Amino acid sequence: MNEITLTINGKQVKGKEGDTILEVCRANNIDLPTLCHYDGLSDVAACRLCLVEIEGERRVMPACTYPARDGLVVQTHTEKLEKYRRLILELMFTEKNHLCAQCVASGECELQALAYRYQMDNLRYPLSWPSLPVDSVNKYLVVDHNRCVLCGRCIRACDEFAGIHTLDFGYRGWRDRVVADLGQPLGESSCISCGACFQVCPTGAIFSKSSAYKGRSSECEQVTSVCPICGVGCEIKAFVKDNRLVKIDSPDLSKPRGLLCNKGRFSPLQPFAKRVLTPLKRSDGKLEPCSLNEAIEIVGARLREIKTRYGSNSIAGLISGQLSNESAKAFKDFITGSLGSKQLDSLDGDCLRLVMQVLQDTKKNLKDIEISSVEELLEADCLFVAGAAPLETHPVVGSYIVRAVKRNGANLIVLDATGNSFPYQATLWLHPEQGKEALVMKALAKLIIDEGLVSASNKNKKRVAALADVKTADVCKQAGIEYVQLSNAASMLAKARRCIVIYGQGVLQYRNPELLGLFFDLADILGGDNRVTKTLWLKPRGNSGGQWDLGVVNSGEFSVAKLSKNKSIKALYLLSGDDWIEAPELASRPTGVEFLVLQTSFVSPIVSEADVVLPSPLWTEVSATYMTLDGLNKRAARLVRPPEGIRADWELINEVDRRLSK
Amino acid sequence: MAKVKVATVWLEACSGCHMSFLDIDEAIVELVNAVEFTRSPITDIKEFSPVDVGIVEGSVGNAEEEEVLKELRANCKILMAWGDCACFGGVCGMRSTFDKDEVLRRAYIETESTCDGKIPRPPGVPALLEQVKPVNHVVKVDCYVPGCPPDAKTILYALKELLEGRLPVLPSDMMRFD
Repeated sequence: MNEITLTINGKQVKGKEGDTILEVCRANNIDLPTLCHYDGLSDVAACRLCLVEIEGERRVMPACTYPARDGLVVQTHTEKLEKYRRLILELMFTEKNHLCAQCVASGECELQALAYRYQMDNLRYPLSWPSLPVDSVNKYLVVDHNRCVLCGRCIRACDEFAGIHTLDFGYRGWRDRVVADLGQPLGESSCISCGACFQVCPTGAIFSKSSAYKGRSSECEQVTSVCPICGVGCEIKAFVKDNRLVKIDSPDLSKPRGLLCNKGRFSPLQPFAKRVLTPLKRSDGKLEPCSLNEAIEIVGARLREIKTRYGSNSIAGLISGQLSNESAKAFKDFITGSLGSKQLDSLDGDCLRLVMQVLQDTKKNLKDIEISSVEELLEADCLFVAGAAPLETHPVVGSYIVRAVKRNGANLIVLDATGNSFPYQATLWLHPEQGKEALVMKALAKLIIDEGLVSASNKNKKRVAALADVKTADVCKQAGIEYVQLSNAASMLAKARRCIVIYGQGVLQYRNPELLGLFFDLADILGGDNRVTKTLWLKPRGNSGGQWDLGVVNSGEFSVAKLSKNKSIKALYLLSGDDWIEAPELASRPTGVEFLVLQTSFVSPIVSEADVVLPSPLWTEVSATYMTLDGLNKRAARLVRPPEGIRADWELINEVDRRLSK
Repeated sequence: MAKVKVATVWLEACSGCHMSFLDIDEAIVELVNAVEFTRSPITDIKEFSPVDVGIVEGSVGNAEEEEVLKELRANCKILMAWGDCACFGGVCGMRSTFDKDEVLRRAYIETESTCDGKIPRPPGVPALLEQVKPVNHVVKVDCYVPGCPPDAKTILYALKELLEGRLPVLPSDMMRFD
């Protein structure tokens, strides 16, 4: 990158070729007011506040889009420019209804701050007082058009950060305003509620229902952490005031894993369900509050008694995949170590086992199959999504897929019999009849090989042989898809240099190990020849990966599905933490279970079935580690103090463990 | 030295700016040595007489307010605007986003607690203007103290500036619109 020299305000400053004047100013600490510029988003020169005078130009020019050149002579703060800036601000204030006194953003509004800076103490122009709508249909966000300055940041964030492009400008002239889709309310549009628009909005035009009027950022303590909810591991910056979460932002939206989704940004701020705040014990058939000491005493004594009477394996432990490594480790040590039971499983054990089985069958371990990182999604040129709805389950992954499609022109192939999870973005949707997915996968692999789209290498000879009998044309008929679709998919996959196969719950729900194996086969067949094909498994819960590594998942003798059949289980310790458990097997007390311990944050239906309930904290109330989808260990910091008397899940388990040996 | 004569009015407003002014606390003792308040809601004097400084709180939303403001302007050498309503239209201006008749209907007929409502009309009451205006859109204003309400210390700063013979312009760090 060539260095260039400019003269700004009479001083020689350096910049890089390709910089805008604004970038040179920022790099040289020359303060230039902006409103529509946002770091990481493209510049559009909408607000005109960064206007500068450039020698040789007849008119003033916006610094944010003007390319810096060697030898340019620029003035940034002449009397004329400052006069214009104040004028622009006054026009903005008169165009819409800016009433700071009742605005959520007052005190952290960029428009207001600029008005203060330019000592705008009156308005010289007639006020428009337009009658504008407020859209509050979205669950988390409100769009108040009265406060909008049409800077377009939200529109660019929606397109460039989230990749969704729900927002855009609608109408013309002074009726111009931000619209969702074709003018739908935000809550009824294609919006995924990631909240990026809210974070970038310079005024109070887009605000969060769960943050409004709770406190200004400047009054809050800021904690940087990681969201453990779905396992993408997005970085968060939490704003806390008086031990209450005020807002969760991304520390840097433009960074990979910097985007947030509605789960990470909003769900921790909204009360999800009634909390369990005290330990409960069953007495005379009814649950009543008791001391923690008493509750733990009961659990210890009863488990000891059941172990003596029925043996170690009569006690089972089930843990939600949402819980941290620390909780899972303590739980495993407790169930398999201290109690000596083999009946330990994750609530998603069956799903995890299925993948493990396939991995063993394909004579590989997970390390041999290249796992894509979340960041690599952004670089991909072909994405194959099967049985997954990333925009719903792992929205940031969904956003990155969409961004790859838009920015890299990546092909997005969706294989799903039930629905297209990317209706607006998929290049191709293969929708065979349900249950015929494996056939289609085989035909796809066969076609890739037959057409010579990949050169046969040593490693895929065996697979080639296995596909010998597959007749692609017949498969298309059987599966109800068109041959041209299949051949299009094959050529897209073969053309790809950086292909990622993304699979999720949908694939696993068919309980079809063959299908899953075929994804790995496809990745394998496509490997080599300077091409990289990786896989990404959208795991069912935030820490499924971590729990797998810790060995919480057993080899299949026990699972939640087997609870009702396994009459030998007399005691069940259910560690649900802050997860809301909806397993049908746990809708009521499993038959044969004499003693049910529930460790949970919420008053879920199963609470009424328990003998002892121990209160769990929320993830925001403890500091713990979790493993991401792509195998990184990340620590989520404690954001707020738990309610009085509530302790970390692993502390409770260790306490029960100690009582057991007494 | 003769005292500086000051008149104050509140137009379409909540009186918050005047309340905030009274929040200057003991500084008022010093102030009244230099200043004489003539017509003002504080003195309860209703008649205008020529003054050095006129102070206006609130925006202009009806015919009477317009008349009072013009009378004040005619009687003062320097006119100072207090608060967001006077400077920008403010919260009182919010009704301007609706049609005037719609506002009257809502207020006097459709309110949930009203039965057999009747819209009061001139000459019994002053006529509402179509839209609310900041004071500088009706008369010439010499200086502004925005805020909702402005802080007592900001009001005091502005008054002291005037007493020192300068037209106050609030520095950026004293500016507030809330």
